[in-house]
This record gives sequence, structure tokens and C-alpha cells, in this order.
Amino acid sequence: MRARFIAFSALLGIALFNATPGLAHHSNVAFEVTKVVTITGVVKAFEWRNPHTWVILTVDDGKGGKVDWAVEGRAPGVLLRAGWTKNSLQPGEMISVDMSPAKDGSKTGLVARVIKADGTILPNAGPAQQ
Amino acid sequence: MRYVLMLSLIPAAIYAQAVPDFSGVYYPINPFGANALGRGPAAGKQPPAAGKAPAATGKEKGPPPRPTQSAPLSDGSQGRSPDAPSLTPQYLAKWEMISKSRIAGSSDYDNTAKCLPPGMPAMMSMAYGMEIMQNKDKITFFSELNDALRRVYLDGRKPTQKILDDPTYAGYSTGHWEGETLVVDTVALHENSFIEGFTPHSDAMTVKERIRFQSPGLLEDRITVTDPKALTKPWDTVKTYRKASSGNDELREFACPEGLGDAK
Repeated sequence: MRARFIAFSALLGIALFNATPGLAHHSNVAFEVTKVVTITGVVKAFEWRNPHTWVILTVDDGKGGKVDWAVEGRAPGVLLRAGWTKNSLQPGEMISVDMSPAKDGSKTGLVARVIKADGTILPNAGPAQQ
Repeated sequence: MRYVLMLSLIPAAIYAQAVPDFSGVYYPINPFGANALGRGPAAGKQPPAAGKAPAATGKEKGPPPRPTQSAPLSDGSQGRSPDAPSLTPQYLAKWEMISKSRIAGSSDYDNTAKCLPPGMPAMMSMAYGMEIMQNKDKITFFSELNDALRRVYLDGRKPTQKILDDPTYAGYSTGHWEGETLVVDTVALHENSFIEGFTPHSDAMTVKERIRFQSPGLLEDRITVTDPKALTKPWDTVKTYRKASSGNDELREFACPEGLGDAK
């Protein structure tokens, strides 16, 4: 029984890990912040949590396959003031993400802004706060 | 009896007239400089607030240009700014070691990435907003970034030896009013925080602040950092904050450890 529980826990752990590949909390220094590239894909998940939000995006790999990117965004408090909400991105919708790639070459990045299919722009900072 | 009651009201009345009320929510003006948060070198233009991009009418139209940055460059790869604190050789070597680590992409020396408090005086950048709570005896500064607090005692108490022997990130602050300026002294700061960015300091650092309204709603904090071990001379900086307007005057819970479980 105990062994079965441990096996189940291990499987669950693997499942959770696979659900959000590369999802780990980083300092900005993990990214090439002065370089911004664009990726376009389908939202797999949008994690609204501190200290950083996450967009998991499924992107064509250019070889007929798909690859998941995990893109780190600013904290909910900052994004709220920039016009985002917890429901700004829905699974299944197509978006473009302008982001700074990770220094380690992994499929992760730091959000500079998000553009939705209808042209709505979600920036990572609002106008000067007042 | 009536006279006693009137007399007891006098100090409160004097306080109410004599000192300004800093209470409220504020946002910093350029906490990281004009090019912060991906605002790019586009002549200081602010990014658009969330909303629809202008409808495309031709090839020349489209969304505003792609930001050139996602965050301020904070790894020291551009060297130290001329107005950065002037470090002694020992602490400059420490800064260079940390810079090397950050350029390599490591979060090892990033306290905020570990959900630790930003500490004094770095926390007064208040990048995500600040809330001030004030009464006659105490003024409390809250930073949305990492839910960090500091308290400034105004009731005349002084740090005891017990306090001095127990340094913290925010340190121990006492203050008094000089006219409409709040003068604050902070001591009991340990080494595990930064002056600004990732500029290190020793446990001998002390911080003096003069806080006042430059004009209604525009708060100024003139900060002087003294550290005989780490600095070749005291370092001065000025932070300014604009009081939040109604409708934008609520800070959000930060709860940093929410995402710490899978921190690298």
C-alpha cells in the first residue's frame, strides 16, 4: 500500500513537472533582457501567481512538430496596473509574445509584451503610475 | 475638568498643524532610470496601456514597435555608473564577483528572487509601489515588492545595544521632524542586503534620510549612506514618488513564496 502510494506520488510528480516544462522562478539576470524576439503560438496555460506570472505556449517547431515554451512575466500587481487581469489569456487562444530569451538556451523567456489575435496589446508596464 | 480636557487636546492639535501627513500609496518616478521596464530608447515615450492597437490601414500601420528590452539590464555588464556608490577595493572585488555570476545568468546573489526582503536602503526604490502609514509615534513604509516593511519610530526611543547586536534587512529606524521634513536614522543593518542593485556593504553601514513633500503629492527621500568599510565616501541619492490617484491607490498582495517552491 505504502509502495503503491509512493509510486503514485512519483507519477504525479512527473506529471506535474511535465505539465510546466522549465517553469522555475528566476532572476531577470537569467535572461538576455536587451534582446527581444517574437514567438507565436497557442496558450496552453496562464499561471497568475507571484512572484512572476507564466505563459505556457505551444509553438510550431518549424519541423512539423510542436514545442512548449514557458515564458515568465511580471508579478500580478504590476500586470494589473498595466491592464492585465487573471483572465487576460485563455487556454487555446493564439498569441504573439515579445520576449527576451534565456541565457541558458532553454525554451524559456522573459515577457516584454503580449499581442492577442485581435490586436490587443498587453504591455509589461503601465504608463507612469499616478 | 474642562480645562484638563482642552489641555490634553493641545498636543494633538499642534501635531496636526505642524507636520505633514505622508499617509497614502505612492509610485516611484523612474525607479531604475528612464529606460526601465522595456520602455526602450524611443525618446522617453511611454508604452501604450492595455487596449487595442490602432486598426491597420496599410502596410505602414501595425502595432507599436516591439520593445527593445524586457527588463532593466542589471548584471553589471556595462560596468559601474559614475554616480554609483564609490567602493573600497575589497567591496569592488565583491561587486565584480557578483557581476560575473549575474552575467552568467545565476540568481545566487539576487535576494528578491529568493523572496528575501530588499532591505535598506535598496527597498526605498519601491519599484512596485509604496504605502505609508503614519501616526504621531510611528511611520511605517510598506513595499509591494516582496511585501517588505520598515518602521520608523518617532516617539524618541533610541536603538538599544540589544537592537544593535541583532541586525536585520530593514535595520532599525528612528526619526524626528525638522519643520516639514522627516529626518530618519537607520542602524543595525546586516551585510546580506544591497545599497542599490547589487552593490554590497558592510555591517557598519548607516543610512540617513530627509523625507519631505517637494510639492503637494510629490514626495522626496534624500538618502545618504555611510559605510567606513565598504565606501570611500558617503553616497547620496534622491528617490521621488508620486501619490497615487483615486482608483489606482491599492497595492496588491505579493506572496512571493507562492512561486518559490520551484525556484532555481
